Amino acid sequence: MTPPLETDVVVAGGGATGVAVLRDLALRGVNAVLVERFDLGTGTSGRWHGLLHSGARYAVRDQESARECIEENTVLRRIAPHTVEDIGGLFVLLPGDDEAYAGKFVEGCQASGIPTEELSAAEARRREPLLAPAVKLAFAVPDGGIDSWALLRSMAADAEARGSRVLVRHPVVGVERAGDRITAVRVHDQVAGEDRLIGCQWVVNAAGAWAGEIGRMAGVPIRMIAGKGVMVVMASRYVRGVVNACRKPADGDIIVPQHEVAILGTTSVQVDSPDDIAVAPADVDRMIDMCAQMVPSLASGRVLRAFAGSRPLYQPESEDGGGSGGLKPSPPVDQGSGGDTREVSRTFTVLDHASRDGLGNMLSIVGGKLTTCRQMAEALVDRLAERMGVTEPCRTATEVLPGADHGPHRLAAPLAGVERDGAYGELICECELVTRGQVRAAIADGLTELEDLRRKLRLGYGPCQAAFCAWRAAGMLAEEGSGGDPLAGLERFLEERWRGQRATIWGDQARQALLNHAIYRGIFDLHGAGRPDEAAAAGLPRTEPVGGG
Amino acid sequence: MRADVVVVGAGPAGLATAVRLAEAGRQVRVIARGNGFTHWGAGAVDALGRLGGERVERPLEAVGRLAEDHPYRLAGEAALRDGLDWFARFAATAGLAHAGDPERNRDQVTALGVLRPTCLLPEPAAQVLGGRVAVVNFEGFRDFSPALCAVGLRGAGVDAVPASAPLPPWDHARYFSAVELARAIDDDDFRRRLAPGLARAAAGADVVVVPAVLGVRGGHEPWADLQRLVGTPLVEAATAPPSIPGLRLFAAYRRRLDALGVGWQFGFPALGVERDGDRVTAVRSEGASRVVVTHCQELVLATGGVAGHGIEANRDGTLTEVVAGLPVEGFPDRTAFLGDRFLGEHPLGAAGVRVDAELRPVAASGDPVHANVRCVGGLLAGHDPTVEGSREGVALATATRTAELLAPTPTPAT
Repeated sequence: MTPPLETDVVVAGGGATGVAVLRDLALRGVNAVLVERFDLGTGTSGRWHGLLHSGARYAVRDQESARECIEENTVLRRIAPHTVEDIGGLFVLLPGDDEAYAGKFVEGCQASGIPTEELSAAEARRREPLLAPAVKLAFAVPDGGIDSWALLRSMAADAEARGSRVLVRHPVVGVERAGDRITAVRVHDQVAGEDRLIGCQWVVNAAGAWAGEIGRMAGVPIRMIAGKGVMVVMASRYVRGVVNACRKPADGDIIVPQHEVAILGTTSVQVDSPDDIAVAPADVDRMIDMCAQMVPSLASGRVLRAFAGSRPLYQPESEDGGGSGGLKPSPPVDQGSGGDTREVSRTFTVLDHASRDGLGNMLSIVGGKLTTCRQMAEALVDRLAERMGVTEPCRTATEVLPGADHGPHRLAAPLAGVERDGAYGELICECELVTRGQVRAAIADGLTELEDLRRKLRLGYGPCQAAFCAWRAAGMLAEEGSGGDPLAGLERFLEERWRGQRATIWGDQARQALLNHAIYRGIFDLHGAGRPDEAAAAGLPRTEPVGGG
Repeated sequence: MRADVVVVGAGPAGLATAVRLAEAGRQVRVIARGNGFTHWGAGAVDALGRLGGERVERPLEAVGRLAEDHPYRLAGEAALRDGLDWFARFAATAGLAHAGDPERNRDQVTALGVLRPTCLLPEPAAQVLGGRVAVVNFEGFRDFSPALCAVGLRGAGVDAVPASAPLPPWDHARYFSAVELARAIDDDDFRRRLAPGLARAAAGADVVVVPAVLGVRGGHEPWADLQRLVGTPLVEAATAPPSIPGLRLFAAYRRRLDALGVGWQFGFPALGVERDGDRVTAVRSEGASRVVVTHCQELVLATGGVAGHGIEANRDGTLTEVVAGLPVEGFPDRTAFLGDRFLGEHPLGAAGVRVDAELRPVAASGDPVHANVRCVGGLLAGHDPTVEGSREGVALATATRTAELLAPTPTPAT
């Protein structure tokens, strides 16, 4: 076994919440190690539509949550401008929509501190030319787009620069307890293929939708509900800003333009496991048909793929007996019976297992959403710091993240870079403007799998679905002598990209799929041999992150 | 517009059909949306590479084992043999001589180093690998990796080592594609400056594998010339699209059609047909400013399958033949289009129009839908050209059969 590590805090989970907790701890001078079963942002944080909430989606039914969103919306624009695309958003009212709801919407936004501007149908269509002619009126709100991977990478880099450690491909496989305390967390190093113990004083369970599994290993019950949300990726952006339906939240009521694609969302279905991320054709049809009410040209558009994410919904113990199984918003800090009444928003919950379950040194954080990840981390770390006797205040809302000096994310920036450098001949992936230099640098950083290159560089995301970049990048891996048998790696990547696409292939995308088949099987005569299972062996996530083109 | 025969589509099947009909004296007009599998293929003539997942060594012999509705069974083995013969003569006359024997498959070297089975190969790709093989790229050309190709070749038992040859200074933007490099290599002076570096990279090798970019405008002279200058056999490896050998062939077909007086509407898709009873009387197509109507006695559809845009795969699982709305058997829903593994087989790849022995589209009853419509190439049901490795063979066999039917006394090529 690899030599054990020692740290003050082990953070389990490399999603937005866990990474934000790690950074918060680092800024308060607390030594911590984050462990993640796959790669950063491969769970729910990478499987969503990429909306930087203004809070307007919650303005009618959940104003506390709406207030958190608009606060954090402002904070993220300040500390992480390079991850935010300032595109604004509209809530559009269609014929048949309840006009009374629009009134409540404006009042709710006002009460929550979200600025709105009412636009006539003509003004709305000037701003969004592809909006349905039937749109009656619209409200502009400060929604935005956010690249969750860029945010996670920046937060993690900041924490690492301050002495924290991030261990990816290290799933938690056990928890060592001595009486009412955890003494160490056992992880499996998937690259080395062996277990490793991390001795610690404290454990933070930030595993999101998988928090129940960490709880089970620690011997404390945490009842999570997996709420599956299906999203559909279109091959171009369609809209300039976010477009929402001005109605009670429902299936297919949001379109988020992101990078070169648009993401249509979303369903909300309770499933048995957060790993159930299958997408049914009917879900895809419903997303398209509903969103096409707002932007009709979506109906004849080209679908790149569909993916699903699992919301980390928490069901408090006290309601377990209810049997409804419904998806409820989470209550404030759940401390079992008794305990203090510290105020935390309803939209996320900090569980202190000392008072709740008699486990002295573990805290869990459940619920919430990416937009508020920093605030969630602050609430948890405030609580943890109090228990640890750390008096440093939270500084995450004011300290800007590394990369912020690049200024706001602009869609055209990568293209401008290629044009400035005359680097067309350097492009490995034309769809996503990935250059040879970027691929070479990533390989030099130790990446050996095409899947890793994809997540890091967006290689293979675009409309051609890796028809050309995959074998070019495989060639570069072969030249650097990285990653074992390059042809096996290429086949593995192609099969991984193929997963879950069947629900979304028709029309132009069917033509693309058969053309790609004619290239890889027809010209290159690759046959594969049912290799996808090697992905699991190689510790690769079976997940489809955001923007999954 | 008016023609005896309108051929819709300019892939391997449409081009061969148009030339063969025009050679037989029919007045032909070609209407095409764009390029087809000349550009998107491997640059070889596949007849039958695989059957039931197994590599086929003797394609003509294997035809008898195909299902009865396979295009080869409908067109007949003689049509395949005649089509391959005709093609070999046509290509040689155009300066694009092919090597190979319809009785035996051979290996085509690909950019991934995998050796794919095919029937006829352009001479620059035909040399059999043996002894010590150098796999050489031209510096800065991003669509070929000698390291990757050498890995694949070694996996196939070939003694291959990667190398790189400098390109002489030439006038290009920093970006250059296979087509631009191939155009540069068309130039005599450029080749003379290129050869020494290539010879150094090839030092000690018995055979040199290079990407298939050795000239595009004419025939195989640039390859032959460079091979002479280097002093070692050069073998062009198949790359990803566009295929430079395919571009050469397309240009040769086009020159031949021009010489035969065949009219073209290229870049303008056919939109539909006009009918009189069971006959199609005209084809409507896009034009620069308005819809063009071309009257005809006979219509040949060579529009390809789903990959070629001859068939549209709809969201509800149905399939639509895009020009004449011919019957095509669809699927219960779209999840049946494709298989579990990308590199496996996909039902959609074999989707197509069912025809009778005279290549006329038939209804579910088996009766022809139209008396004067024929379907050729990838549009036909009963085969998956990618999985079988039969694309060019089916194109040539059905083009040959169509020429027999519509111009009963074909004259030889040239």
